[in-house]
This record gives sequence, C-alpha cells and structure tokens, in this order.
Amino acid sequence: MQVPEDLRYTEEHEWVRAVDDGRLRIGITDYAQDALGDIVYVDLPQTGARVEKGAVIAEVESTKSVGEVYAPVGGTVTAVNAELEARPELVNTSPYGDGWMVELEPEPGFELGSLLDAAGYRRLTES
Amino acid sequence: MTRRSPLCDLHAELGARFVEFGGWEMPVQYTSVIAEHRAVRTGSGWFDVSHLGRFSLRGAGATETLRRLFCNDIDRIGPGRSQYTMMLNESGGVVDDLIVWRWGIDDYWVLPNAANHERVMARVAAAAPEAEVVDLRPTTVAIAVQGPDAPRHLAALLDEAPRRFRTVITGFRGVEVRAAGTGYTGEPGGEVILPVDVAEDFARALCERGVVPAGLGARDTLRLEAGLALWGQELDEDTTPLEAHLEFAVSFDHEFVGREALEGERRRGLRKELVGFATEGRKIPRRGYRLRAGESRGEVTSGNFSPMLERGIGLGYLAPPPGDGDLEVEIRGEWVQVERIDPPFYRRSGPS
Repeated sequence: MQVPEDLRYTEEHEWVRAVDDGRLRIGITDYAQDALGDIVYVDLPQTGARVEKGAVIAEVESTKSVGEVYAPVGGTVTAVNAELEARPELVNTSPYGDGWMVELEPEPGFELGSLLDAAGYRRLTES
Repeated sequence: MTRRSPLCDLHAELGARFVEFGGWEMPVQYTSVIAEHRAVRTGSGWFDVSHLGRFSLRGAGATETLRRLFCNDIDRIGPGRSQYTMMLNESGGVVDDLIVWRWGIDDYWVLPNAANHERVMARVAAAAPEAEVVDLRPTTVAIAVQGPDAPRHLAALLDEAPRRFRTVITGFRGVEVRAAGTGYTGEPGGEVILPVDVAEDFARALCERGVVPAGLGARDTLRLEAGLALWGQELDEDTTPLEAHLEFAVSFDHEFVGREALEGERRRGLRKELVGFATEGRKIPRRGYRLRAGESRGEVTSGNFSPMLERGIGLGYLAPPPGDGDLEVEIRGEWVQVERIDPPFYRRSGPS
C-alpha cells in the first residue's frame, strides 16, 4: 500500500497535494482505490463550484460499491480531471498521479499542516 | 459457521480476495473484476463454485418426486442432459432455482443454490423415501470453465468434454469426474464436479493452459450482463417464475407444487414484472434503488457496470407491470431516465 511522504491525507482516505499558487490537488488514496475495486465512473463537480468543508465533491463508482469524496477544506473548484470521464480506471492504476480528481482554491487561512501526514495516515489504515 | 472450499489455499496462492457468500468464504476476485469478466467474454476463465449445492438422487420414485416438486418437467429431457428448473411453494413463489443433471431413468444429480442446498435436499429426501440421497458437497469440488475458448480447454483436459446442456461421465487423469455443458455467464463451457483429491490438479492444469482464475465478482457481472436471475435478488418465495419471465422453465403439462397458484396468476394477470434497463452513461443502479414507470413503482434487485456495454445495467421489479412507458431509476436522490432493455444485455456473437 503506497502512502507517499510528500502528500497530506484525510481520515476519509483522500490525499491532498499543494500545487501552484496555493491551490490543492485532491484524489483518493491507494488504500481507498484498493478497497473500492475496479473503478468505472467518477462523477466530478463543475469548475467554479463553491464547496463547503466536508461536502461531497465527487462520487466514485466501482463494480463493488459507490464511494464519496469529501472536500478536505472549503473553497472553489478550479479544475477537474476530465481524463477520468473516459478512463476512470486511472484512479486504480495511478491514484496519486493521473488518477487525481479535483483542484481547489482553498478558503483563506487553510493550513495544509492541519491534515494528516503520511505517518499519521499509515497509522490510520493499519489500525 | 463459514465454510471454505478445499481449494482455498490455491486461491490464496493465486492472490484471491475472499467474500462470504451463501455461508461460504469464496474468492471474489484475483486481479480485477473487469479483467476477469473480459477474460471470460473473450477467452476463458475458471471459477471455483464449490459453494453450489449438489446431491445425488437415485432409486425408486426419483423421477416422480422431481416432477412433483419442480415446475419444469424432468421427463422433457432424457439421460445425458441437464435442465434448469425451480422448486416452488404452494403460492407459486420460488423456493430455489436449480439445475438437474440426468444420468438415468431414476438417477439424478441436483444442483441447488448454495444457500438452499440443505432445504432442497431435505424436501427431496422426504418426498422420495425409497430413493437414496447423497450429499456430494463434502466429497467433491465444483469448477465452472466458461468462455469462447472453454470448450477447447475442457476437451484437452477431460476424456470427453460436455456439449451444450449435455451431461457426461468422463475422466480427468484416470479419475472419474462428471460434467455438464452449463454455466452462468452466457458463454460456452461447462461445469465439472470432481473428487476433492484431484480438484487442485485440475485447477492448476487450467491455469497452466492460460484459463484465467475468476471470482464471484466477475461471476455476478457476467450473469447480470447475460440477464440471468440470482436467487435471493431476482428470485425469492414472494416472486413467481411468471413474474421473473422464467415461463420457459415451467411445464404446465404435469402436476407440480405451486401449479394452481401460477394458473390463477395467469388468469388474473401478474402483480409485478421483472424489467431490465441500462443507464445512459456509467452511473450504476444499485440494489434497493427505486424504480418508476407511469403509475408503476418498484426497486432495483441487481445492478452493476456492464464491462461489455460500458454502461450501468440493472434488473428490478415494477408493480403493477408497467407497459411500455418511460422507465426511471432514482440514483442517490436524482431520478434519471433509463433505457429499457429486455435481457440479455449482452449476447455473444457467433455460434456457441
């Protein structure tokens, strides 16, 4: 189970990466994609949508079940990974890379350090 | 208590993940449900189906018992053939749907669903006191080999491969095994029942030939794509074969338990009806989601992604039967129109 050191994590099995200009790229973890099984559809939000912290920003359908992706922080959706429409399986094959889902412009005052680090997330999945 | 297949160590070695089904812990997938599904549609796959019920019934009264307890007429087929049939209750509800392999005049193997094995076996035994009933589950393993290439692999490994819907007593490396040209995927192939001590050799030989091990996840998407009902989902004691569009397995030319109820239902019309449908995109209808069409209401009984159609597909009941109007399913709070499709959703091309 991969848990890259340079990312932050939530208890809902999302990862968060700081990209340019303070924006955040969000996806689901290796653990989450593995638990869901074959992912066949990802329902993504509209670019420009405002989201509250904890709101559902994406739905992930697999052959086993449907999972929800929650906003780790409130903000505005600045980009979505349109590639997933045709190739949702990228979430399985590259959860931290080509399988990313959403980019957010977080509300002011958000501290990335408030999320779990890799060691903290690893403990969560092992408990 | 959860039971395990004699092949569970082999499954673990092949990387299986397990799921509990019908009281058995069985492989749900080895690599990926979709990869295993596509292997069966385009090449071949093998499934450990040792959870399936199976018992032999032999001796005086066997045929009369099966004719009375099951709604299809076993005398429609002769020895060397198999038949899909159902056990009904007095109200016409489906106690179990099952396959019967016929070996002789009063000589059968009966294959109920995993969860119904004991109950069907007990009812048959009670109704046929002079016949011998033997539970085959403790001594055998059941393996389904399915896919367009499956007949070729079965022919290579068995002394004689079963033809479609036929049954055969044959051999694997000198040991007697029995097989039928049946399955649950809509593909050619067969189901083989072997003594426990040769089953692992057979499974390994399949793997060596490139037949892909496939789990219950793919088995479920395959059967759904083929439009085949699953007991406990599309079928239960409150659902009749007529409501489930299984008339082909009901023979009104003989007396059987539940016949009067079905005749009454035919006179009065159906209370509910099974419908099949596909979503426009990849949104997946799930079991329990609500259905509506005009004044008719109902629920999804099975739904998943169809790897061949690359759409969501589902089965469900509507009451009263809906006619031809638009069909909608509620997917997490949103009613979406779906395309009504009479199953099967996928039919393989070419000869089977």
